[in-house]
Amino acid sequence: MTDIYTDNKVTWCPGCPDFMVMAAVNNAVLSLITQGCKREEFVAVADIGCGSKIYDYLSISGMNGLHGRVVPTAFGIHVGNPKLKVMAFGGDGGVYNEGMGHFVHACRYNPNITLIVFDNQVFSLTTGQSTATSEIGFIEKTHPFGIKEMPLNPLVLALELGATFVSRVSALDLNQMSEVIEEAVKHEGFSLIEVLQPCLSYHDFSDFLKKNAYKIEPMGYEMALKEAKKWNYNEHEGGKVATGIFFKERKPTFEEKYLKKPN
Amino acid sequence: MRFNILIGGKAGQGINELADVISEGLVNAGFYVFNYRDYQSVIKGGHNFNIICVSDTQIGSYDENIDIMIAFDNETYEFHKGKLNKTSIIATSEKKLSEQIKCILIDALKYSKAGNMAFAGFLFKILGLDKNYVINEIDRKFKGKSLYELDIKNVEECYEADYGKNLNFKASKKKGSFLSGSEAIGNGAIDAGVQLYFGYPMTPSTPVLIYLSEQQKAHDYNVITMENEIGVINASYGASFSGKRVMSGTSGGGFDLMTEGLSMGGMVELPLVIHLSQRGGPSSGLPTYTSQCDLNMALYSGHGEFPRVVIAPGDAEECYDNTVEAFYLSEKFGVTSIILTDKHLAESGYIYDIKKTQIKIPERKEYAGKGLFKRNSYEHDEQWNSTEDPKKIIKSVDKRKKKSEDLGEESKKFERIKVYGKGNNLIIGFGSTKGAIADALPELEGYKFLQVIYLEPFPEEILDYIKKSKKFFIAENNSTGQLADLITRKLAIKIDDNQRILKYDCRPFTPKYIIDEVKRRE
Repeated sequence: MTDIYTDNKVTWCPGCPDFMVMAAVNNAVLSLITQGCKREEFVAVADIGCGSKIYDYLSISGMNGLHGRVVPTAFGIHVGNPKLKVMAFGGDGGVYNEGMGHFVHACRYNPNITLIVFDNQVFSLTTGQSTATSEIGFIEKTHPFGIKEMPLNPLVLALELGATFVSRVSALDLNQMSEVIEEAVKHEGFSLIEVLQPCLSYHDFSDFLKKNAYKIEPMGYEMALKEAKKWNYNEHEGGKVATGIFFKERKPTFEEKYLKKPN
Repeated sequence: MRFNILIGGKAGQGINELADVISEGLVNAGFYVFNYRDYQSVIKGGHNFNIICVSDTQIGSYDENIDIMIAFDNETYEFHKGKLNKTSIIATSEKKLSEQIKCILIDALKYSKAGNMAFAGFLFKILGLDKNYVINEIDRKFKGKSLYELDIKNVEECYEADYGKNLNFKASKKKGSFLSGSEAIGNGAIDAGVQLYFGYPMTPSTPVLIYLSEQQKAHDYNVITMENEIGVINASYGASFSGKRVMSGTSGGGFDLMTEGLSMGGMVELPLVIHLSQRGGPSSGLPTYTSQCDLNMALYSGHGEFPRVVIAPGDAEECYDNTVEAFYLSEKFGVTSIILTDKHLAESGYIYDIKKTQIKIPERKEYAGKGLFKRNSYEHDEQWNSTEDPKKIIKSVDKRKKKSEDLGEESKKFERIKVYGKGNNLIIGFGSTKGAIADALPELEGYKFLQVIYLEPFPEEILDYIKKSKKFFIAENNSTGQLADLITRKLAIKIDDNQRILKYDCRPFTPKYIIDEVKRRE
């Protein structure tokens, strides 16, 4: 097996970093299969948005759900069969805007699922409106005078909520993405992979990312929180952006807490 | 014989608990019993009451006159005194009230802070029934709990006292089990092999959530509560995607939140059973009072066109049967089935002879974890790949339309309507109004009662009954006549305002109300 792609025509813009994310998913799944996982154990759950189109391009089991609802859908699939390796794909719009409530609680429940967020800091498929992670002053069609709020920092939020695997990767770094996705799927509990993924059409921060991304290794909770706060998602000029696994710990999963009844 | 016992007081005084014990005691003594629960949306205080109707034939309603009143407070008497007659017996734990109206005083608080069970001893004494009917019930429910010993002492003492009255009730063989509509739905789900129930508390759907949560200890399934109903509905379809037999439940506002997911359910063709229990609306409405105002929502909610099943049971027995049928149709066709109840059905106590279902729920052939399994909320081709191709769109839409037709055929296996009584005239109803209409029938000469159980797929055989009837009326607990409108829409029959007996004070029908309205409109 050389890849897990379908024959469907890929409709992402030419050169979109989403191709890189998909290649990393492909690498991670293939690597896990060589380590003994079965292909039919993998499930790709998708939100609605550009990144979520990955549902059509991966030839593994999958459910393409509703905008903002990828987290509860993936949660249900996991609860339905905890043996499945559930990868949930959504964007910043779906996960941090429409579906933020679900994200908050998933961090608390700690279900064994991997959430991969294509964070391009913009709604792309609806042609470029601001999301919860867009920077102050970002001008788009619905905000001709620019938006006025600070972007939220998903890593800080996840850490504060008790998520047990918190990571950020650059969509321009295939190797790092492949490794982190593999680690996240192996992690027992809720894994967040925040993918910084420039949108070439509506929000291109490729140069910034190339220049300022640096790698980190997993660290203790307090250090991870401090590291996560170093880049506030607002700054696209100076400032350094840490990538890698910030924090991971083994805590009782949702399955262990609720699905196995006390004797 | 129909005999009505009203028990009233403040929330927190144990009114409903006492009514349960008395009802079960009377069931054990061989009577048919209906237990109506009327409570406000408060934890302590306010005014709550139960009406227990006792009969020697099957019943599904209570009456507007009260034969025995048990008043925990003055307000109960003031609120309900209009329902009393010369022979009514009143007992109270309020000394002032007993002196004021010269009724029986029960020293309920003599032994226990709760004290509610004392009235059970009093009641069984004046009914002339063995005290063990109620003591056994207290044993079953409260043995080992803190107030148990005092409860028993209370009952014994109040039973020994002399009230100068004996109504000479004659015990006989027990007629069946006593269950609420909610418990029957829970039992139906368990016997249909439910594996996961996802929920979020909302009155009056909460009792099913609680009952199934409790029953987890004895059965092999899990109940999971989530952050909100949006999470619940998406997780439900997710678990169904993984091959599990899944159920969920909510009430109006929660169902509103679910409807985006319901529409997805239509597209992804995954089985799911949803219990939708109605309360007064719109908006926050009346959490603890009954209504049939959400029939239209059950039938038409969710964007786009897709097949669904809507079944409205009328009593606890049908709650059980219809829940099993809902699972059958959902699993067989990959659709969402809605069990439409209301507060009156979900929280009233009914007697019925439990028989385990014979229906075999189809096993799922395809699901995630077993080969390549895909589901898509976008329009899709036969392999579930997203498509915008006009020909493929038509194919996919036709597949969903065909499913509606197949459901129509398959549902004929089940009792989609029931007809009671004899006559050339017709009363039509659905859901919880069954009890009051059926109980009114003996007083309405020349009238049949047609109960519509399946709202979707719509039972077109109704047409025949309407055509053959001289007069027909439709009774509903809403202000517009949503069933009447459905019949008009499906059968092209005009139904005028005089034919619509509508009650929208969010209280259930009584037989008398039905009789008076029919006679007034004839």
